Amino acid sequence: MRALQSIGVIGAILGALTLSGTPAHAKDMVFTSWGGTTQDAQKQSWAVPFSKQSGVTVLQDGPTDYGKLKAMVESGKPAWTVVDVENDFAVKAGKDGLLEPLDFSIIDKSTLDPRFVTPYSVGSFYYSFVLGFNKDQFGKKTPKSWADLFDLKTFPGKRTLYKWSAPGVLELALLADGVAPNALYPLDLDRAFKKLDTIKSSIVWWSGGAQSQQLLVSGEAPIGMFWNGRIDAIRKSGVDVGVSWEQNLAAADALVVPKGVADKDTAMRFIAFASSAQAQADFARASGYAPINLGSKALMKPEEAAALPDSHSQGQITLDMAYWAEHRDAVAKRWYEWQGK
Amino acid sequence: MLLDFDRLGGLKWVLVGIGILVSAFLLLPILFTVALSFGSSQWLLFPPPGWTLRWYEELWADPRWITSTLTSLQCAVLVTLLATGLGLLASFGLVRGRFAGRETVRALFLMPMIMPVIVVAVALYAFFLRIGLGGTLIGFVLAHTVIALPLAITSISNALERFDKAIEDAAILCGASPWEARLRVTIPAIRDGLFGAAVFSFLTSWDEVVIAIFMASPTLQTLPVHIWGTLRQDLTPVVAAASSLLLLFTLAVMLLAAWFRRRST
Amino acid sequence: MSSISIPNRRNAAARPPPVPSSGVSFVLPALLLILAVFILPVVMLLLRSVTEPDPGLQNYRELFESATVARVFVNTFVVSGLVTAIALLIGFPIAWLLVILPKRWADLLFGIVILSMWTNLLARTYAWMVLLQRTGIINKTLMGLGLIDTPLPLVNNLVGVTIGMTYIMLPFIVLPLVTTMRAIEPDLLRAAALCGAGRWEAFRRVLLPLSLPGIAAGGLLTFVMSLGYFVTPSLLGGAGNMMAAELIAQLVQSLLNWGLGGATAFALLVLTLALYAVQLRLLQRGRSQRGG
Repeated sequence: MRALQSIGVIGAILGALTLSGTPAHAKDMVFTSWGGTTQDAQKQSWAVPFSKQSGVTVLQDGPTDYGKLKAMVESGKPAWTVVDVENDFAVKAGKDGLLEPLDFSIIDKSTLDPRFVTPYSVGSFYYSFVLGFNKDQFGKKTPKSWADLFDLKTFPGKRTLYKWSAPGVLELALLADGVAPNALYPLDLDRAFKKLDTIKSSIVWWSGGAQSQQLLVSGEAPIGMFWNGRIDAIRKSGVDVGVSWEQNLAAADALVVPKGVADKDTAMRFIAFASSAQAQADFARASGYAPINLGSKALMKPEEAAALPDSHSQGQITLDMAYWAEHRDAVAKRWYEWQGK
Repeated sequence: MLLDFDRLGGLKWVLVGIGILVSAFLLLPILFTVALSFGSSQWLLFPPPGWTLRWYEELWADPRWITSTLTSLQCAVLVTLLATGLGLLASFGLVRGRFAGRETVRALFLMPMIMPVIVVAVALYAFFLRIGLGGTLIGFVLAHTVIALPLAITSISNALERFDKAIEDAAILCGASPWEARLRVTIPAIRDGLFGAAVFSFLTSWDEVVIAIFMASPTLQTLPVHIWGTLRQDLTPVVAAASSLLLLFTLAVMLLAAWFRRRST
Repeated sequence: MSSISIPNRRNAAARPPPVPSSGVSFVLPALLLILAVFILPVVMLLLRSVTEPDPGLQNYRELFESATVARVFVNTFVVSGLVTAIALLIGFPIAWLLVILPKRWADLLFGIVILSMWTNLLARTYAWMVLLQRTGIINKTLMGLGLIDTPLPLVNNLVGVTIGMTYIMLPFIVLPLVTTMRAIEPDLLRAAALCGAGRWEAFRRVLLPLSLPGIAAGGLLTFVMSLGYFVTPSLLGGAGNMMAAELIAQLVQSLLNWGLGGATAFALLVLTLALYAVQLRLLQRGRSQRGG
């Protein structure tokens, strides 16, 4: 009996607690991205005007977490309506059945950069991996190419590279080793890892943008690969860091809709709005990342467009998402095995 | 002798030396955090190029710091009550009860401590979404209670084992009902264990980040989740400012507690 | 309900006067919570190790064949052992001091220990990250003093993880030890001195053995907590020396390979429980030997 009583008391406490939970309103949608200045720009350029136009409240959540996304989809009740993910993940998740196919009768595909459109995703924005360096550390010498990243003699010290298995590092290793840009794919993994082995003990991995900035500015790792927007932000803060756009590696984030969302129509309308020329131009202005709508550049002042990866399209290499979608798991397995050694 | 400070001789100074070194070790990151919060470098350079109150102003301007602190506080208090209460009951059962499978039950209670928290996070998140508790305060509270229970039970059981049950029996012989005896004799006697359980439970919830990252929703974020996001994305000294304020608060509570103790003795 | 309480009642009759027939019902609320909110969901997840991507044991085959996994487990046990040992080594004198220092100083030291515990875990860990880096103040100070020429690699490796985790675990060693040492009768040590025992003898034969329950409790707690620790290793460790929780997180969050993730978690759980059982057995044997 006593046990039943105590269970009853606990039940009552729990019941009281449930009432204090705050479920999202039916007319709301949730946009999830990576946080920080990027998401602030997305909120100001996309969510706020979209709410004004449609009356839908857009709640912000983040950071994006693929494990969480998968768990949501499996539960059948995803809490996220539209998610900003990396492009290679978008392609892979589409194949794995985690995403809703997009409705291109609502989203106008014809104005978008075709490099970043798939049945399950459209580009969110695009960015470049660039070579960044701390000017105080190398005297008069200025690193220029990815090959310089591997030159421990001329440019001594730690170098910082993107930690996760994703498009970028393997490509730049091959480019540094002399592979021609048009012969990059399919990736010669053996050759790439062999090249990376030559600097392995000097690599500090960055797992997020903020960390990469801290490593560069503090001189902890005076040279490395960075998202161009992060270098831009450092410069805006008044610290003079060097950057080389030679063979910058372009990749995109993508907007996707988790499978099973309650209000598909709202999700599609949000994506249509976010990928429109005006919204993309506003976002590019605020973030330093490039628009994926081909009409956006005409809406921006020339000096605003100058800092964007668009303006460095000469020698720019687009990372091949089709290759990555196909080989993501196999590459990841080798990547983490190599990294862990 | 060994337990008398004044009669330790040379050993005394060895111990004091170790004490000073370890204190420095414990204080170093705390003082450093405070220093960073006043440094003018956005990139955590130290020593900083100058000093500023800017990060405190930014902290003040962002209401999410306040709301997430309140959420954390609310969650941690509920977890403390629930874990200490359930832990007290369970400890009575484990220490005094004689039933089949008692050791198995004891081991079960310790399991949440052993399981890597990431597994608990993913498992609970998927489970809570399915039963409609995803992103709710009750989800947070239940999840944190489960991982706080092992510490609470350990702390209370230890105290209860040291307590001489004959005293409680004596109270019953003197006419108290069993519940009265437990309430008025046993519980005051094991208050150290209860206090420890409460502190550990509170801290477990207050500082927990891995499960919280999964549980969090746009409308419900705990402080560690907010700190985690801020650090990962911006790494700004605002986090150092927030930590310093929390530190100040903790110090105030500790001094207050010390003052009360002095007054009561 | 009734089927559970029957053996209980029988026991009650055998051992008068116990808590009347209530052992189980006291435990029940917490037990139900653990079963519903922990065991059930975790078992559901672990089951995926034999169902994903295909039914069978291939995840476990992969687990045992992988050199990476083996290395990660070795790392995990080495770091956990190291952290426990160091925390015990510096925690013991601290606990000792807390027991014998004059009240004012003991309060101060206790305050410092508690303060370190109450500072936000993430903030502490980030502070260590910046402190320990090559351009951080520890390396700068050491170089300024002329003790070293080149910065020591203190972070992004197991050194950083060990420092950061020792910092976090120290209170979990100190607090149980203080409780144990407070309960030691000073008279016992006085008696030892009267019997002609020197300081070292008294330490080795009286103080240390009597502190053993606290050392065992704190040590076990620290070791077990370290095995599954995630935040500190992932911030202070390097990619070349992952710990088990990070590997599981990577499998679950980045690779979405929940089958292998579940298998790894299960392996860690079994290893930990086995170790726990062994230690418990040793402890009991030690206790009964001393008793006998």
